[in-house]
Amino acid sequence: MSLGKLLERIIQLVPVLLGVSLIVFVMLALTPGDPVQIMVGEQAITAEQEAELRRDLGLDRPLVERFFLFVANAVQFDFGQSYYHGRPVADVIAERLPATIELSLVALIVALATAIPLGVLAAIRKNSIFDRMATVGSLLGVSLPGFWFGILLIMLFAVHLQILPVSGRIGYASEVLTVTGFLLIDTLLAGDIAAFGEALRYLLLPAITLGLPMTAILMRVTRTSMLEVMRQDYITFAEAKGLPRRRVLYRHALKNALIPTVSVAAIETGSLLGGNMIVETVFGWPGLGRLVVESIFLRNYPLVQAAVLLYAVTYVLLNFIADILYTVLNPRVKL
Amino acid sequence: MKALPRLLMATALAATPALFPAAVAAEDLIVGFTLDADTLDPANHRKRETETIIRNLYDGLLTRDANMLVVPELAESITQISPTEYDFKIRSGVKFHDGSTLTAEDVKFTLDRITVENAMGGQTSPRQGLMGPVASVDVTAPDTVRITLKEPWPILPAMLPNQQIVSKAFVESVGNEGLATQVNGTGPFKLVEWRKGDAIIMERFDDYYGGAADIPPVDKACVDRVIFKIIPESASRVAALLAGEVHIINELPAFSISQVESNDGTQVMTVNGTRSFFIAMNMEGEHFDDVKVRQAAAMAIDKQLIIDKILGGNAAPIDGILSPDAFGASELPKVGYDPEKAKALLAEAGFPDGIDVTMDTEGAFKDTAEAIASMLTNAGIRTTVMVGEGAQLSDKWRTKGAPKSGDMYFTSWGNGSLDPFDIFTPTHKTNDRGNSAGYANPELDAILDAAAVELDVEKRRAMYRDAEMMINADQPYVYLWVPKDIYGVSKRVTGWQPSADSRINLHDACLN
Repeated sequence: MSLGKLLERIIQLVPVLLGVSLIVFVMLALTPGDPVQIMVGEQAITAEQEAELRRDLGLDRPLVERFFLFVANAVQFDFGQSYYHGRPVADVIAERLPATIELSLVALIVALATAIPLGVLAAIRKNSIFDRMATVGSLLGVSLPGFWFGILLIMLFAVHLQILPVSGRIGYASEVLTVTGFLLIDTLLAGDIAAFGEALRYLLLPAITLGLPMTAILMRVTRTSMLEVMRQDYITFAEAKGLPRRRVLYRHALKNALIPTVSVAAIETGSLLGGNMIVETVFGWPGLGRLVVESIFLRNYPLVQAAVLLYAVTYVLLNFIADILYTVLNPRVKL
Repeated sequence: MKALPRLLMATALAATPALFPAAVAAEDLIVGFTLDADTLDPANHRKRETETIIRNLYDGLLTRDANMLVVPELAESITQISPTEYDFKIRSGVKFHDGSTLTAEDVKFTLDRITVENAMGGQTSPRQGLMGPVASVDVTAPDTVRITLKEPWPILPAMLPNQQIVSKAFVESVGNEGLATQVNGTGPFKLVEWRKGDAIIMERFDDYYGGAADIPPVDKACVDRVIFKIIPESASRVAALLAGEVHIINELPAFSISQVESNDGTQVMTVNGTRSFFIAMNMEGEHFDDVKVRQAAAMAIDKQLIIDKILGGNAAPIDGILSPDAFGASELPKVGYDPEKAKALLAEAGFPDGIDVTMDTEGAFKDTAEAIASMLTNAGIRTTVMVGEGAQLSDKWRTKGAPKSGDMYFTSWGNGSLDPFDIFTPTHKTNDRGNSAGYANPELDAILDAAAVELDVEKRRAMYRDAEMMINADQPYVYLWVPKDIYGVSKRVTGWQPSADSRINLHDACLN
């Protein structure tokens, strides 16, 4: 990809982000529920105190002015104060973001590591019992609600077998010096293998729950794509040459069959962020998803606006990465 | 598809505790708690959950014992000088976590920070409303602070347990934003680490003065460390308790009680709550302006059946707005479950064929609302449940006198102070903030206003009795029940009992 194309993509990002900001701003403004009333709740407050609170939160200004103020500050990475935390929104989000990214990446790894072998096996043994079961399994994987599957895993592995924890990110005896915020990396940097293992144990169930729908989708994509490739002339030719089946499968077929899998995976990674909200709640995972849901209910406008903007940037970047991967894997395609 | 479970099992086993032993210190007492603190600044929050956490780190001038009696904590004594003046003598020798000594200046600084406009770095404390009409706070002697009120406000002592004392020097050094995440309190535990969204880890403060003299044992905390572990999902909280991962959980759902009771090592503990549940009937609408229709609605609902079957018996029925434990609560005439009489009342009111109405409620109460709706429907009040979001329903129903739409609203109001002022006035005074029924009774308004400033305890009690009788007759709401707070507790925990104000005070809790 040329530098020009890259710049073009970055410039395209600007209207997208502006549009997203505007839509979120208007939607929040249109949603019933006054942040001041929610904040005050059942407590007594005089009209003057209420007006002052509204002023403190900047809600006394016209919507248009608030929007432009938000944009002007956002370009300087200032997203304002969270209504509830008494601290800047950027700080509150930054504390929770690494947990979400770590969980999403491990879920992605779990999904890829499971989906590709299963998809290939299903394709090789087309119409076998295994293939049919894989089809049913993937249907289940897409349809099982995350909160239900998560609770099921908790009951099995944490309550009955007692080999994995119910919730949290790491045990409380472990003191991890935060460097990157990613516990798997920070524990390794500290050379604390026991803490690394512990962090991994805490990650497993939420990552499997989060990765399950993606596993199911990727498995179907891999299977279909593999079957497609296996019908190509060059595979017949390779087999006719007398190459061992294993070599034909893994060197010739799989490499090409993985092109759609990888690009779908890159795009689907964005949906992991969405799925996070439920999984983080079930597993008490201290990530951004849970914070955003709580903030929506509390009409914590600055936090929701900043988080949605972050999600938008992530989606755009992931799509961009998917495009690049596609061109790398399939040189016939140019951006 | 056998490969997937095998793979899952293999992956899980690969990381079994044998390879990576979970490092849990022996004396950590862990509470599985619904919500993280928003901030650790005692003056800058409005949530009860935040207060629950903060009160293990900070102490207040006054506190409440397990029976909800107000007793001195950092104050040694409280003296009412006049209807508008209270003197608080401050305990001597109380240490902050940094080793500095608590002074009357710290108390004045704390209360000023809450009550004076813009006192928190240009902002006003969101807890100002909880302090009533405070005119000034003055240090009148090295160990005495005087609170002067603009007008008599008899519930000041009942409201003071909600405010915790900070160190003036510490706040001046870390600033308001610093106080959101750093702690220097006088409470039984010191902050070790706040893992946002995950846990708040505290350790015993060895120089603790022992807490309220009226709440034995007066000593430092029993356990080395306590942890509030945030688990928002109730099924996961129950699982964590059953797995032995946590020792106390709050908000145990009624349907999980038997699961916790039948498990070896865990038990259920309950305490009378302070939140009254009721159905507001829109008196500005076309049906509920008639008292007969309101009485019909009240008679159509078998409260006890719902308490027994849906709430697992964990609620006390009410016939007025007050909890049986609140100041001024008394035995009231019972409405009684009588669907036939309800139908007759409807006919008398001009609705022999019944009426069609909607009932708004939040998602969390949908099941109970559906049960109520089916009972109302049986008595001719054909009710459709409409589920809405809390903030949206609040906008619709708590209109402070502005016109409201909708027929019925199944909701609740908290009364943490257990003083009627906190619940009676907002829900029943004309156009007040929680008056969802649109009830307007000038006679009742006069009683509520007078009771709010009446200092004679018995006179005040009689006033609220009169007020309860009035609303019992007028039925602007169907008064339903006050649910208990339900906790799941490991049998290893001793010395701890739940408190009606939802405070989880871990000072006296031990772990066997």
